[in-house]
Amino acid sequence: MGFIGKFLVFGAGLALLVGAGIGGLWYKLSQPAPIPKLELQYWGPGKAKADDITIKPFKINVSNEVLEDLRDRLDLLPPLTPPLEGANFRYGFNSDYLQKVVQFWQNEYDWRSRETFLNSLPQFSTQVGGLQLHFIHAKPREVPAGVRVLPLLLLHGWPGSVREFYELIPLLTAARPGAGFVFEVVAPSLPGFGFSEGAAKPGLGPAQMGVLFRALMERLGHKEFYVQGGDWGHVIGSAMATLFPKSVLGFHTNMVFLTTPLSQFRLLLGSFIPSLVVEPEHYNKVYPIVKNFMYILEESGYFHLQTTKPDTVGVSLRDSAVGLAAYILEKFSTWTDKDWRSLPDGNLEKKFSLTNLLDNVMIYWVSGSITTSMRLYSEAFTKQYLGLQIDSVPCIVPTAVANFPNELSYTPKKIAEDKYRNLVQFSHLPRGGHFAAFEEPQLLANDLWDAVENIRKIRFQSLSKIKK
Amino acid sequence: MGFFKKITIIGAVLTLISAVAIGVICLRSLPAPSLPEQYWGPGEPKADKTVIVPFKINISDHIIDDLNDRLELLPPLTPPLENANFRYGFNSDYLQKVVQIWLKEYKWREREAFLNKFPQFKTQVAGLNIHFIHVKPSKVPEGVRVLPLLLLHGWPGSVREFYDLIPLLTTPREHEKFVFEVVAPSLPGYGFSDGASKKGLGAAQMAVVLKSLMERIGFKKFYVQGGDWGSIIGSDMSILFPNSVLGYHSNMCFVNSPLATVKQIISSIWPSLFIDEDKISNFRSFGERLMYLLEETGYMHLQSTKPDTIGVALRDSPAGLASYILEKFSTWTDREWRSLADGGLTKKYKLINLLDNIMIYWVTGSITTSLRLYSETFNKAQFSLGIDRAQCTVPTACALFPNEIDYQHEFILKDKYVNLIQVTEMPRGGHFAAFEEPELLADDIWEAVYKMRLPPKGK
Repeated sequence: MGFIGKFLVFGAGLALLVGAGIGGLWYKLSQPAPIPKLELQYWGPGKAKADDITIKPFKINVSNEVLEDLRDRLDLLPPLTPPLEGANFRYGFNSDYLQKVVQFWQNEYDWRSRETFLNSLPQFSTQVGGLQLHFIHAKPREVPAGVRVLPLLLLHGWPGSVREFYELIPLLTAARPGAGFVFEVVAPSLPGFGFSEGAAKPGLGPAQMGVLFRALMERLGHKEFYVQGGDWGHVIGSAMATLFPKSVLGFHTNMVFLTTPLSQFRLLLGSFIPSLVVEPEHYNKVYPIVKNFMYILEESGYFHLQTTKPDTVGVSLRDSAVGLAAYILEKFSTWTDKDWRSLPDGNLEKKFSLTNLLDNVMIYWVSGSITTSMRLYSEAFTKQYLGLQIDSVPCIVPTAVANFPNELSYTPKKIAEDKYRNLVQFSHLPRGGHFAAFEEPQLLANDLWDAVENIRKIRFQSLSKIKK
Repeated sequence: MGFFKKITIIGAVLTLISAVAIGVICLRSLPAPSLPEQYWGPGEPKADKTVIVPFKINISDHIIDDLNDRLELLPPLTPPLENANFRYGFNSDYLQKVVQIWLKEYKWREREAFLNKFPQFKTQVAGLNIHFIHVKPSKVPEGVRVLPLLLLHGWPGSVREFYDLIPLLTTPREHEKFVFEVVAPSLPGYGFSDGASKKGLGAAQMAVVLKSLMERIGFKKFYVQGGDWGSIIGSDMSILFPNSVLGYHSNMCFVNSPLATVKQIISSIWPSLFIDEDKISNFRSFGERLMYLLEETGYMHLQSTKPDTIGVALRDSPAGLASYILEKFSTWTDREWRSLADGGLTKKYKLINLLDNIMIYWVTGSITTSLRLYSETFNKAQFSLGIDRAQCTVPTACALFPNEIDYQHEFILKDKYVNLIQVTEMPRGGHFAAFEEPELLADDIWEAVYKMRLPPKGK
């Protein structure tokens, strides 16, 4: 063979090697991880005890003492460092605007009337896994003949709470003309959030929370149910659908977030061959990777801190009501629209009322739950938890994804399908950000109704095929 | 030679040249930038008042009463998870003890008198009132030169860290032909120094301000010593003003350049390429260092992006401020202390002294402006100055304390610090070297400056 021939063979061999390498890596990364087995555990203090399974009605009733203490703290706020000239919201919450929020909180926000509002949905408390769990349980008022009542577990995230669902729930429990079903909603406060007790033992990560919620649903008489969630609610719901495919009839999410090696690898390949990963009309949501990465870096300081030192920062957030408000409300600005960082008030009141925003902050404040809420981050990123590799376990439960345009990150359909093998709906909503239920309850509700309609149709079709 | 053969050889040679060129471009050092003096105060630039005014710390009773009220109103804290110790951050059970001591045993007026023991001043530079300690040696024997030394603290430290160190520097030593006159400022935005009203006051800009401060005091040439941000500012100052800085001593020498990163990665896989066999046991792999940094840099990530957000809670809660700051005095002094229920805080420090430092942040309300140094330095504008990749020709000495958060060995340091006079591997001590091991640090500074003053070899 001449030199040219040898060179060509060498080149071909090299190309084959590289191709085989990529192919081999792809194959290895696509290998599904096994479904981990998680049992119901005891998370309370001291030695494991049996749960008190009674379900008690619950009404929020904050003492006058707590309210007076809050009033004192708001009055005693020291002068805050003014923002740098022209900073707006780029260095975090603008302290000039924060003073206005504090004044509103002091002079116009009336807790007792908000408490009545928050109590307008029926609430209960019961002990699961050693923890007293608080939940809203809203049943449809009128169920027309022939309409099925479907149990729906609604899961919030951080720094949210069940408050995010107050406008959404009535849209789910009211029967719709032409629909063969209506929802019965169970919306718990995550353990360690709001009126749900936090764990005393380390290890309560999202999957373990899923185990608790499945037990909760069973206690309420629901062996099978639908799940909807965003933020941590997505992570927990996804874990439930993955771990308990026999319990979860369908999973609806408004925030898919995958960081498996396979998804990252695909994402990288997609920057060379986009068609492998994303449709042209959604290309800009994902690429250039560096731009998205920089945005995530700018916005994930809190994430990094809470994942590693929740107890440190928790002290100041427990002791300073205004500090807590700044920390939480910054997210309601930036995660609703990242461009609002260029505005002196973060445009906070564009899509939300200060009253509603403060309801959510108050839930954290009156329950003193900020530290336990942040521990969810550290428990989700321990070696043990990551070792479960739940994201790499395929989810066969029918899944629907609602993509809101201002969500923090976008996962293309092709990558979502690596994990969600039964993706029945993948919608792109016309507006809205991270707090979809709070900001655009109608859009979210409609998408959820459509998704469940789809899921039921597919199930009946396959059932009727089996019958034939 | 056939046509295809020629093409192949030319292609291979071109590839090789490109690879080397890319390597050189990516890894080469850059020239020192030049930075103008800027006005950092509010509104339109005004001329500085150049008078130097004596300063005494004198906090109103109202502030102290307010502090005690807040400590008493601390709500019940979430208890730590079972066996968590300091692994999830500051242990709240231990924090309650610290708060009790703060309320019952810490006496501010006594501490204020202690803090006022060194002569202090304020003067306006670049629109900011800068606070500084200025200690002259008391009795200077015949023939002993007095050398000005700029001492720079970091975050979450303050000039308080230097109270044991300063006398060790301003007291003449037998057989030494020099002694130090120390200027220790509070960094802009820290303690009793004003913070900037305008965006952009990063480490390099602080170097400009503090060099102007030294000139205002009367020193055109001086030595610089620093740790943490003090080390970075001192390094920047040496690069920007090599004719002003006679010598630079740091207890946190660090190089952040592409070349340093490449060397770090290679030395992780093949340490003996770069480092002596007997030092290898002291050596942490890239992976180990990365994991530790990931665990410990959450605060840095938050402060570099949202200082004003977290600043509110820290301004409003003294216990929260204490927890946030004291966590560092534990972990950065010895990372093993994360396994202790009290974070080992009192193993090397007294709570009273630790609280002095916290009080400096609290009584001045300076936490937010102090955090902004992170966001003003870790951004595109500052990186594009290229100061990370510029070489420092000023005589340099590095003291490597074993429990420092992270450190690099000589084989990396010498690429940036081309005039490396001394690298000392200290027997003990962590990040807050001046506070924890003032004698070890002082001895190393004396040794370094002695060497720096020797005539260059070969003459």
